[in-house]
Amino acid sequence: MIEFENVTIRYRADQPPIIENLDLTIEEGEFILVVGATGSGKSTLLGAINGLVPHFTGGILNGDVRIDQRSTSVHRPRDLADVVGIVPQDPLSSFVTDTVEEELAYTMECLGIPPDVMRRRVEETLDLLGLEELRHRPLRSLSGGQRQRAAIGAVLTAHPRVLVLDEPTSALDPGAAEEVLAALHRLVHDIGVTVVLAEHRLERVVQYADRIVSLGAPESPGSRGTEITIGEPEAIMSTAPIAPAVVHLARVAGWERTPITVREARRQASSLRQLLIGHVPPVRAVSDAGAVAALSDVTVRYGALPALRSVSVTINQGDVIALMGRNGAGKSTLLHSLVGHQKPASGSIDVAGIDPSTLSGPDLVHRVGLVPQEPADLLEASTVAEECAASDRDAQCEPGTTRALLALLAPEVVDTTHPRDLSEGQRLLLVLCIVLAARPSLICLDEPTRGLDYATKERLTRVVTDLAEAGHAVVLATHDVELAAEVASRVVIVADGEVVADGPTSAVITSSPMFAPQVAKVLAPQPWLTVEQVRRALEQDTA
Amino acid sequence: MTVRHAPARVRTRSVGNLRNVDDTRWLHPVAWWCWALGLAVAASTTTNPLLLIGLITVAAVVVDRRKPDAPWARSFEFFIRLAVIIVLFRLLAQIIFVAPMGTTMLIDMPGVTLPSWLAGIRLGGALMLEPALQALYEGLRLAAIIVAIGAASSLASPSRLLKSVPAAVYEIGVSVVVATTFLPQLASDVARVRANRRLRGRRDIGLRGVSGTVMPVLHGAMDRSIALAAAMDSRGYGRVANVSSAQRRLTALLLVVGLIAATLGTYGLLGTGSATWWGPALLIIGLCCALASVVLSGRRNVRTRYRPNAWKVADVGTVASGAAAASLFLAASAINGAGMNPATSPPTWPTVPILALLGLLAAIIPAFITPPPPATVAPSGREVRA
Amino acid sequence: MTVARYTTTHGAVPLGARSVLAIGFATAIGLVAFLWPFFAAPESTLVAHAGDAPFIFALLVPVVLLVVLAQFADGAMDAKSVALLGVLSAVIAALRPLGAGVAGIEPIWAVLILGGFALGPGFGFVLGAVSLFASALITGGIGPWLPFQMIAAAWIGLGAGLLARLPAVRRLAPAHPWREVLVLAGYAAVASFAYGFALNLWFWPFTADLAPQIAFTAGAPLAENLLAWLRFNVVTSLGFDLPRAVLAAGLIVVAGRGVLIALRRASRRAAFDVPVDFAPAYVREGDVRR
Repeated sequence: MIEFENVTIRYRADQPPIIENLDLTIEEGEFILVVGATGSGKSTLLGAINGLVPHFTGGILNGDVRIDQRSTSVHRPRDLADVVGIVPQDPLSSFVTDTVEEELAYTMECLGIPPDVMRRRVEETLDLLGLEELRHRPLRSLSGGQRQRAAIGAVLTAHPRVLVLDEPTSALDPGAAEEVLAALHRLVHDIGVTVVLAEHRLERVVQYADRIVSLGAPESPGSRGTEITIGEPEAIMSTAPIAPAVVHLARVAGWERTPITVREARRQASSLRQLLIGHVPPVRAVSDAGAVAALSDVTVRYGALPALRSVSVTINQGDVIALMGRNGAGKSTLLHSLVGHQKPASGSIDVAGIDPSTLSGPDLVHRVGLVPQEPADLLEASTVAEECAASDRDAQCEPGTTRALLALLAPEVVDTTHPRDLSEGQRLLLVLCIVLAARPSLICLDEPTRGLDYATKERLTRVVTDLAEAGHAVVLATHDVELAAEVASRVVIVADGEVVADGPTSAVITSSPMFAPQVAKVLAPQPWLTVEQVRRALEQDTA
Repeated sequence: MTVRHAPARVRTRSVGNLRNVDDTRWLHPVAWWCWALGLAVAASTTTNPLLLIGLITVAAVVVDRRKPDAPWARSFEFFIRLAVIIVLFRLLAQIIFVAPMGTTMLIDMPGVTLPSWLAGIRLGGALMLEPALQALYEGLRLAAIIVAIGAASSLASPSRLLKSVPAAVYEIGVSVVVATTFLPQLASDVARVRANRRLRGRRDIGLRGVSGTVMPVLHGAMDRSIALAAAMDSRGYGRVANVSSAQRRLTALLLVVGLIAATLGTYGLLGTGSATWWGPALLIIGLCCALASVVLSGRRNVRTRYRPNAWKVADVGTVASGAAAASLFLAASAINGAGMNPATSPPTWPTVPILALLGLLAAIIPAFITPPPPATVAPSGREVRA
Repeated sequence: MTVARYTTTHGAVPLGARSVLAIGFATAIGLVAFLWPFFAAPESTLVAHAGDAPFIFALLVPVVLLVVLAQFADGAMDAKSVALLGVLSAVIAALRPLGAGVAGIEPIWAVLILGGFALGPGFGFVLGAVSLFASALITGGIGPWLPFQMIAAAWIGLGAGLLARLPAVRRLAPAHPWREVLVLAGYAAVASFAYGFALNLWFWPFTADLAPQIAFTAGAPLAENLLAWLRFNVVTSLGFDLPRAVLAAGLIVVAGRGVLIALRRASRRAAFDVPVDFAPAYVREGDVRR
């Protein structure tokens, strides 16, 4: 179906190649997962499948890429639209029309399909993806999962044989991610579509994959391309540095077969469970130092709709709180009211003794800081150096503070880069440094791990842990259960504007299947959360 | 696989002895525009205030009955206000700037003569009835034309209008569609960025604050446009049919000939003597050639339309009523010039010529024969953040 | 064996021979549409129908614009240009109601001029025409003045793009970004006045019965009419033109550098001028193929 024949891609003649000497053949009906760190060439690989690289981006392609026997050197992306459908990372930015039904029809309009065929295919696709009730809804009013399915439907109406998706579940909560992956699974197994999927969050996806293409990170700038490994999931996962938690658990426990799902892991885990009886997983102590912020009986309304109902949360120094819940449950609203963007309709909010909505300017940033969902909203300068200098002035701290922080967190960032040209992870770290420059006592992060690769997530985890030890309070709104398990001392679950659970991490997330990390599911009913905990316990054994 | 039809709201209305209208649908937007143009042409033939007010009323009635429940349809009030402003402005300009002439004085006001370096214009002076009436009639005429066009603005759905864009300018139509889709996104981006700017610890006021909001929004918009372009490319945008080189040469030839003829014709409009007949003639010939080349070049487009705007009886009837109104007014002004342009000195009470009255009745027909527009679906609650 | 090699567009919307031709003739016709009160002979068709002439041109100019835009759309506008055009038109359409119709407060000219400057004369022309059309469509402000506004805005965008192509101006960037911005601010001020004066020409013939020193007198000598028109401008619309010019130039001075950087970055990321090359596969010496 898809053939890469000794393909080398570089964007400019004087730059080193991004992908070098790649040979890859994808059969019809395969589900391929592409994994790799940011900057390793994932988007280039996906773009090369339908010819966006190099027709759209410019560049030089050595070798040949063929889709269904059509070579991309001869066929431009528009000529391949009836064979390949691309679903980009941010579906909202790829929508041309206003409503779901028209978006579904747009691809077919471009391809010149007769109107009666278009009607029929729109109905079929609506049924296939469960979008019938949404057909007249404006696209902007859809939830994340619905948007993703609408984007898939928009390319599916052309009846492509190949579907390429770039991080479809990164912005979705676990439930919505399941819907999307189930739809893809149905497409592959019932209809025989070939799916090529790039994803960071391996634990959700790796079980569906027939084969994995793993792109290693370049060792240093200027080195030759990336190491590309292709193989069955078990083979790749047994040696890959980037792997879901069950794989790391298997390595720590020394199992023969590498499990890639929780079910496979549980089957091999009985001996491990035996070993761990008698060990108590270290509980991250819930801080009882003074309160940094508190919400008391807060109700927030957007117009007539209540976004938060009688919410009461106390945040102490040194706490790392993971705020979890479905999309639209009120997590972002809670964070925004902590920084004073929202005045509550009733109840009181208190940050370091003051209502944050009365604060502005330096007073605000010295007390509480927020890294919003869209970190780039805070960036306005043309170079990283200017941005850091502006941040020092805003925070009224020593010149050079922000730059020093950035050098610690993201040492590879160069001063002269345009902030928007940084990778997602580097942008997030830059904004985090800007927020930290003012040394606020409360730091909030809204969905920080969206689109982040494992390496950057590691750095973020270390930063958060260091901050908590230094006495700051950190509140993270996240879907990422593994991150919460790693770093949080408390978990607060919000549903429909109300707090439904608030307690120490191990208590809260092991009790709910929705929010339990993989290690907890494998070793249930023992309350283990992370692979690190298990490793330490086993080391104690051998010591 | 059952094919479901679009949901139709069944709404029955019986208006006197006219038939019931059920099934809501969008009227073809070009039909509304043709009707409005007919009204505008009719308005331009007369200065009779009764007829002009009648035309404005006709437009208002049709808009009121057939206006959909969408944000863009609320612009008609703006046009009415603009019409009132135009009439008042015209009156005011007449009062202030024109030297008094005529016989009947209404109000005696002091006048002032500007110094000679401002050309010695005389401002003010007595307000006379005759020139005031003339200004009122002229102002009403312009106002009626503008209201007619404003009626079409409120009745014809812009998104459906974009579906009827001629094939030759399809790309332009797509960019307008992108603009209309992107605008609400832009608005919410600005709101979000403004809220988040507080987190920089900056007291953003005045122009620096605006610049701090504009830059992230602009960058986001630019990035989004690149992503959109990649998505459009991947979905097949820009496919062209194989046009024979003979056809391409013909298109180019028609274009060049048409443009040269149109330009010569336009310059002929400026001249005298024989230019008064070959000027307009060349212009029309040139425009026809150029339009023909445009239509031919549209053949390169392979795309089809999903649920295109249909021409049904009601649509054709609307166009016909606009055309009838225009022709009846034109006929009336040919036959009964005095009635269509009542004299102001001495001022006479305006009468209503019969043909023009028939024209008004023809113009109001679309209020009754067209189907009501469908209800627009409002998004449920606020925009959901992913 | 090289399979394919080409360079994508030059500037966001390249100006081919047909487009240049079409713009040239459209400009010629447009000049008549605006300037006929000065040059129409006393017995000409236009003077005979002086009251209807603005409406005749209001029908003629859109047809001419349609022909020109069709030339651009034919092959010169790919998905990148269309998307950029749509997004910038949305930005301009969003800015338009901000003035709330208050005397001349129109922030759109700064964006249009910067857009034309950064993205090329062809793009500037199309941006001017399409953004004014889109904003009229979205805010429901279509009227007989729209064709004149569209072509005037198109000329302003075209001028900004041509300004960027001048060798003297090209030398300014990137060494002297501030001088570039000043040049643009100067252009904006001139263009705002020109726009205001030109649009006054649209309804000036309607004022034939005002004081003779400022009114249009059909068939009068050129000098007389010109003087009358200038006085008309000073008296009626200076209050609009001056704020417009000040705001346009001011916005460019304040935000011009940043906006230019953003637009040029977008142009770079869209890879308008980057070559696309396909070449046969190679094997590096000493490599072992996997």
